Amino acid sequence: MADSKKVRKEDLAGLLTEWSRDYAVLAPSRADGVARMAAWDGEDISFLDWYRNTINPVKSLFLPPVEEMFSISRNERGHRIELPPKDDTGCLVFGVRPCDARSLILLDVVFEDAYEDPYYLDRRRRSIVVGLCCTNPCDSCFCTSVDSGPAATAGMDIMFTDIGDNLLVEGISRKGKELVAGNATLAKATRTDENRARKIRLAAEKKITRKIDTGDSKERLLAVFEDESFWQQVSAKCVSCGVCTLLCPTCYCFDINDAMTGGEGSRCRSLDSCAFSSYTKMPMENPRADKWRRVRNKLCHKYEFYPMLFDNIACTGCGRCIRLCPVNWDITQVLDSLPAKHESKI
Amino acid sequence: MSYSAAKNSQMQKKLRQEAKALLEQGKVDCIIGYEPGSLKHATTPLITKDKAATERLVINPFIVNNLSNFLPYTKGRIGIVAKGCDSRSIVSLIQDNKVKREDLFILGVPCSGLIDVSKVEALVGKYRDEIDDISRQGDIITVKVGAAKKEFSLSQVMFDNCLACELPTPAEYDVLLGEPTSPIGAAAESAGKLDELKAMTAAQRWAFWQNEFRRCTRCYACRNVCPACYCKRCFVDETEPQWLAPMPQEPDNLMFQIIRNLHVSGRCTDCGECERTCPVNIPLRALTRDMYDIVDELFEFKSGMDTKTQPLLTAYEVDEAEDLVK
Ligand code: SF4
Ligand code: SF4
Ligand code: SF4
Ligand code: SF4
Repeated sequence: MADSKKVRKEDLAGLLTEWSRDYAVLAPSRADGVARMAAWDGEDISFLDWYRNTINPVKSLFLPPVEEMFSISRNERGHRIELPPKDDTGCLVFGVRPCDARSLILLDVVFEDAYEDPYYLDRRRRSIVVGLCCTNPCDSCFCTSVDSGPAATAGMDIMFTDIGDNLLVEGISRKGKELVAGNATLAKATRTDENRARKIRLAAEKKITRKIDTGDSKERLLAVFEDESFWQQVSAKCVSCGVCTLLCPTCYCFDINDAMTGGEGSRCRSLDSCAFSSYTKMPMENPRADKWRRVRNKLCHKYEFYPMLFDNIACTGCGRCIRLCPVNWDITQVLDSLPAKHESKI
Repeated sequence: MSYSAAKNSQMQKKLRQEAKALLEQGKVDCIIGYEPGSLKHATTPLITKDKAATERLVINPFIVNNLSNFLPYTKGRIGIVAKGCDSRSIVSLIQDNKVKREDLFILGVPCSGLIDVSKVEALVGKYRDEIDDISRQGDIITVKVGAAKKEFSLSQVMFDNCLACELPTPAEYDVLLGEPTSPIGAAAESAGKLDELKAMTAAQRWAFWQNEFRRCTRCYACRNVCPACYCKRCFVDETEPQWLAPMPQEPDNLMFQIIRNLHVSGRCTDCGECERTCPVNIPLRALTRDMYDIVDELFEFKSGMDTKTQPLLTAYEVDEAEDLVK
């Protein structure tokens, strides 16, 4: 917490207004009845009172539900392909929760790996992620079981912590530190402020009671992979909707479609879900026609395949999939029920 | 019969006994019911062949899922727990040849209505997990948050479709787990979205829906929880020809829902599942209930009320709805 700063709550709107000069500022809003990141309206900071997390994860700002990759038009010589107009505006997202901030690190690796994805990476480069430490986690949160926690700073440029009348402000990344250092609205935080933040964070961490042992989940999943009866049982109540994947901060599957009329239009990509029976139907049939295989894939991708490739669990413990699932399918219960390695048949 | 926790637990006891006996005697291959969920004030479907698991079965004011949705995908003989609305969906599925009556053992729950936790959240200004207790005695719902205690009426906290429910006690069942209940009949007392929309001009309504569907994620939870949506190949998944863009965008999102609503007309039982499960709170019931009322008005038909009435789309009388096409 060295060099931490603070801002009085009544001055937060002023600070965001200042930032609005250089950045398009986004902040939590429930203007249409659903908590989401939206263009900040220039005054409302009431989210400090009601906001726990958004329904749509922060990934939707970088990998939007649907986007145009290029447009296709016709001229005398044939077809013309044009990239979307270049956007150079910086974007500052205020209030990102630690789980969602961590999801960006997990996604960055994917979109930089085999090839560089210009769409995603360009938005990432232009963005400042301002985190907001969790003080009131939900009963479905289990971030502390996956290398994170209500005060984790991974993936953030700056982190804010609500300490009562003030917000404690800490620069995390180089970009974030610069932004904080040169700001006149921010005052130096006292040792009392820092101690208060420490207490609040400890209390938040204690509130997280949903805990699972993820130490050997990769090995246990590997061992149970072929056990159809286990997966049949685990998947029985799932209805194969897209809720737990489309709204998961770390799921990144997309589909590509042409939206054309009369030979003109655009090529778009949109989020897809491995839970759908129609997944990958475009190039071929779905290799996972059975529901149990799809449920297995969702879990194994996060806790087995991704960890094998990138040495990190691709789940942030945000709990959205538990809260929003129509049938209350609970990933933590399923992970808990994985047989220990030696019990498995293989 | 007025609701009491004691009567409810009697029903639950009876359910556990019946379900266990059904499995033990080999009368069914599996049981579909509810067990406590992993979130507060929630339940989750229990689909099991294990007779010991029947001890986990519950009946309470939070048994929201319409379990008939699982029937077309479940093999063998099934013992299924059904509230009034669920039983109507079951009847509709039987009539559509999606499941055979003789393969079912219906454990009927005389329903007193379900509590819409999101309404409670709004009333007390707290989230689901911050609310310590929600209980019902008679027609009073008591909500406890810490030391504070508040009381609400049924019309304030029950699901809109429960307030409008016409058949709380299943008409089709093999065993009825308690004494028949009567409809709450308080639809008029709750400020439902439908009334609000009916007061608008057509242009305002159109603008309203366009705005609502802008946030649709195309997760298809509305379709996948709907017992009437059982098509193996849904029109929206067709690629040759492609009826709608498979991307979450307008106007395709709204078109998807309008077509879905037309497809389930005459089979929708107003169970409310589509609206409840929509992760972005689109008030879908304002569409489905309106269609339900239109079907009733034009054809005097309500789906799944009994096994004898022919399903709407298979029956035709020469003089019916003459003014339908103008
Ligand atoms: S949200 Fe629930 S029902 Fe939907 S696919 Fe995920 S686990 Fe299955
Ligand atoms: S799998 Fe569930 S808890 Fe994990 S990141 Fe995705 S939505 Fe969050
Ligand atoms: S449940 Fe809601 S978000 Fe999902 S497809 Fe249906 S209307 Fe859209
Ligand atoms: S359309 Fe909605 S209300 Fe009607 S049967 Fe389907 S899920 Fe139930």
